[in-house]
Amino acid sequence: MSDVQTLSAYNKVLALLTLVALVGAVVLIVYRLVKGPESARDLLGSGAIWLAWAVAAVATAGSLIYSEYFHFVPCRLCWFQRIFMYPMSLVLLVGSIRKEMVVKYYALPLSLLGLATSIYHYLVQVFPSLEGSGCDPTNPCSARYVEEFGFISIPFMAGVGFTLITVLLLFYVKAKEE
Amino acid sequence: MNKNLMWIIGGVVGLALIVGLAWAIAGEEPPDETAGFGTPTVTGTNLPAVENPNAGDPAVGMTAPTVVGTDWDGNEVAIEPDGRPKIVVFLAHWCPHCQAEVPVINNWLANGGLPEGVDMYAATIFTNARRPNFPPQTWLQRENWEVPTVMDNAENAIALGFGVMSTPTYIVLDGENKNLGRAAGEIGVGGLNALAAIAASAVEG
Repeated sequence: MSDVQTLSAYNKVLALLTLVALVGAVVLIVYRLVKGPESARDLLGSGAIWLAWAVAAVATAGSLIYSEYFHFVPCRLCWFQRIFMYPMSLVLLVGSIRKEMVVKYYALPLSLLGLATSIYHYLVQVFPSLEGSGCDPTNPCSARYVEEFGFISIPFMAGVGFTLITVLLLFYVKAKEE
Repeated sequence: MNKNLMWIIGGVVGLALIVGLAWAIAGEEPPDETAGFGTPTVTGTNLPAVENPNAGDPAVGMTAPTVVGTDWDGNEVAIEPDGRPKIVVFLAHWCPHCQAEVPVINNWLANGGLPEGVDMYAATIFTNARRPNFPPQTWLQRENWEVPTVMDNAENAIALGFGVMSTPTYIVLDGENKNLGRAAGEIGVGGLNALAAIAASAVEG
């Protein structure tokens, strides 16, 4: 397999995981709306925080593989998303092990700010004029290094990761509070 | 967490991984990573880079290098001092601004925007097989691009020769390949008309 083929295969696997995560987030939100707040505790319990950690860990590893193995240079907005995602893979792990409620106060701001950045980055890819009129050849934020199914790019993947983490954290909060 | 739910989540993620891997391995033909690159010869002195396009071009009046290369069909394309003023646009296949500008240029040309006695050329630069929309010729052919286009090599000889720091970039040359001005970014019809006016002023007779 050539380097380009390996990258293509990697993109496809991540794109599929992104779709699974997106469906998971939607299902959780709908479940919560239909079944009510008490159902959150019964459905996931303390497992919600472990799942949130798993999402953050996969996203962190996925991003590091892009930069360290495939030598993608992260653009400015990619760096902001990394700043919000990477700490969560440690914070959520510690919170999961210690079963501490306080973890939500650390993780939720990170996931929400990360989600906002991902949405803006995705918009820049759809409307490149949001960030200037030309492309820096090294690492333009507007270029889509990855494009699967016609709409899944790296900030889309990150945005889905942040969304699922946020939803899982809210489920965990409810589980502990109720 | 409910154990059944844990198995369901694990199963769905595992299935996604297996399907993704199978799809990826059985999928596309391996791409030709050399497609999209040319072997141009670039002779002469490189123009200095345009660090800040809004601050003016420090290389106005300097002679641009002569480029002789080919398009994707092997047809020779030469950007040389042939006595005719020309506008050259530098495009990168992965750049969304270039993707937006190409149809604008096509319409402008179709509407007779290019003055009599002025030629237009293009160069595909910063080509990268690991970036989207590769190779550039597939994209340009899809856009019905008919401007004579020379393909840069993997060392970016053409981009370096013309001091291109971002895409799209335009340069206006007189008949002796002297730089009359460069512009960077999406310039639209108004910008194209301005460059055409500069080029037209260099038409002799």
